[in-house]
Amino acid sequence: MNINATLLAQAVVMIVFVAICWKYVYPPILATMQEREKKISDGLEAAKKADDSLEEAKLAFDKELDKAKADAAEILEKANNRASQIVNDASSKAEAEAEKILTAAATNIENETNKAKEELRQQMSDIIIETTQKILGDEVSKEKHEAILKKAAEEL
Amino acid sequence: MAKELTTESYIDHHLTNLTCGHVGINEDAGIYKSFWTCDPYMVDKMGFWAFHVDSLFWSVFLGGIFLFFFKKGMSKNKGANIAPTGLQNFVEMCIEFVEDNVQSLFGSVRNTLIAPLALTVFVWILLMNLMDLVPVDFLPVLAGHIAYAVAGDSVSWITGPESFYFKVVPTTDPNITLGMAFAVFVLTIYYSITVKGPKAFIAELTLHPFGKWLIPVNFVLEMVNFIAKPISLGLRLFGNLYAGEMIFILIALMLFFSSVPIGIMGFGLHLVWALFHILIVALQAFIFMALTIAYLAMAHETEEH
Repeated sequence: MNINATLLAQAVVMIVFVAICWKYVYPPILATMQEREKKISDGLEAAKKADDSLEEAKLAFDKELDKAKADAAEILEKANNRASQIVNDASSKAEAEAEKILTAAATNIENETNKAKEELRQQMSDIIIETTQKILGDEVSKEKHEAILKKAAEEL
Repeated sequence: MAKELTTESYIDHHLTNLTCGHVGINEDAGIYKSFWTCDPYMVDKMGFWAFHVDSLFWSVFLGGIFLFFFKKGMSKNKGANIAPTGLQNFVEMCIEFVEDNVQSLFGSVRNTLIAPLALTVFVWILLMNLMDLVPVDFLPVLAGHIAYAVAGDSVSWITGPESFYFKVVPTTDPNITLGMAFAVFVLTIYYSITVKGPKAFIAELTLHPFGKWLIPVNFVLEMVNFIAKPISLGLRLFGNLYAGEMIFILIALMLFFSSVPIGIMGFGLHLVWALFHILIVALQAFIFMALTIAYLAMAHETEEH
C-alpha cells in the first residue's frame, strides 16, 4: 500500500480518458440527444397545431353546415311560395278562360238564335205574303205593305 | 515456495499489488546491476518509481470498456430519427443523469469539459468499484494460475500460483484514487488561473480570512483548505472501498478456516454484505463525481465571498 508512481500514471490515464471522452464520445451523444429533443418538441408542437386547426376546421364546418341548412330552408320556402303562386295564377287564369269561353258560347247561341228567329220570321212573312197574294191576287204587294209586313213579322 | 496458507498470508495476499519497478542493486563485486522486475521481494528496493500493474491494468481496461460502450451505443443508431434502444438508452440515461448534476452544481457557467469529465469519473469509478462484487478469490487465483502456466518456467520469482499477486479492485489502491483526485486538483488549479486570472487566484489564497496584514497566516490556512480537498476526495473513495474489500476478505476467511455452520453463515453474510456494498459502490462513485463537479464549479466562481 505504498504511494508510488502508480499515482502519476493513473492521473495521466485519467486525463487521457477524459480527453477522449470530451473530444470523441460525449459530443455526438449530446448532439443526438439534443437533436431528438428538438424533434420531439417540434413534433408535439406540430401535433398541437394540427389539433388546433382541426378544431378550427370543425368550427368552420359546423358554421358552413348551419348556413347551408338555413339556405336550404330559405330556398325551400321560396320554392313553396312560388309553386303555390303558380298554381293560384294558373287556376285563376283557367277560371277566367272558362268564363270567357262560356260567355262567348252564350253570345254565340243568342246570335244564332236571333238569326234563326229572323230567318224564320222572314220565311214566315214570305210565306204569308205569298199565300195572301195568291188569295188576294195582285192587290197585295210586298212593296205596298211593307210596313204592315214588318209589323207582323215583329209580332211573330 | 508454496507458503502455508494462514489467515495472515491469505489477507496479505489479497492486499498486495502486483508491483513492477526499476531496481538497482550493488552486487558482491561492486558491480551495479539495474533491471525492471515485478518480484514482490524487490518492492522495497524500487522506491517511488514502481507501478501497481494490476491496478493500472484494471483501471485502463475498465476505462476502455466505458469509452468503447459509450461510443458503440451511439454510433449504431446515428441521428435522432430512430427511437433509441438498448445500450443507447442506457448511455443516454447516464448522460442525462450527469447533465442534471452538472446543471444543478454548475449553474449558468458553461464549460464543455465538465460534463464529459463528470461522466467519465462516474462511470469509470462505478465500474472499478463494481469489481469489488466479483468474489474475492476468483480473479486473483485465476490470474495466478495463468501466470504460473505461462511464465512459471521463465520468470524466477513465479514459483507457484500463489506467488503471483493480483489485486482486482483498483479503487482499493490509494494510488488510483489519489491519482484521480490529483488530476482533478490539476484541473482545479488550471481553471482557477484561467477563469479567475492568476491575481484573483493568489488573492483568494492569501487575503482570506484575515485581510492583507496577515498574509502568511491566511496562506497557511487557505493552503490547508486547498490541499485537503483532493486528499479527502481520494481518500474517501479509497477508504470506503478498502473497508468493503476488507470485509469481503474476512467473510471469505469464514469459509476457509472454520467449521461447516460458520461456513454457511459466511455465505449468508457474503450475500448480505454484497447487497449492501452495491449501495456503497454506486454512492461513492456518485460522491466522487459530485465533488469533482463542485470543486471545478468553485474554480469557476469569480465573485469574492
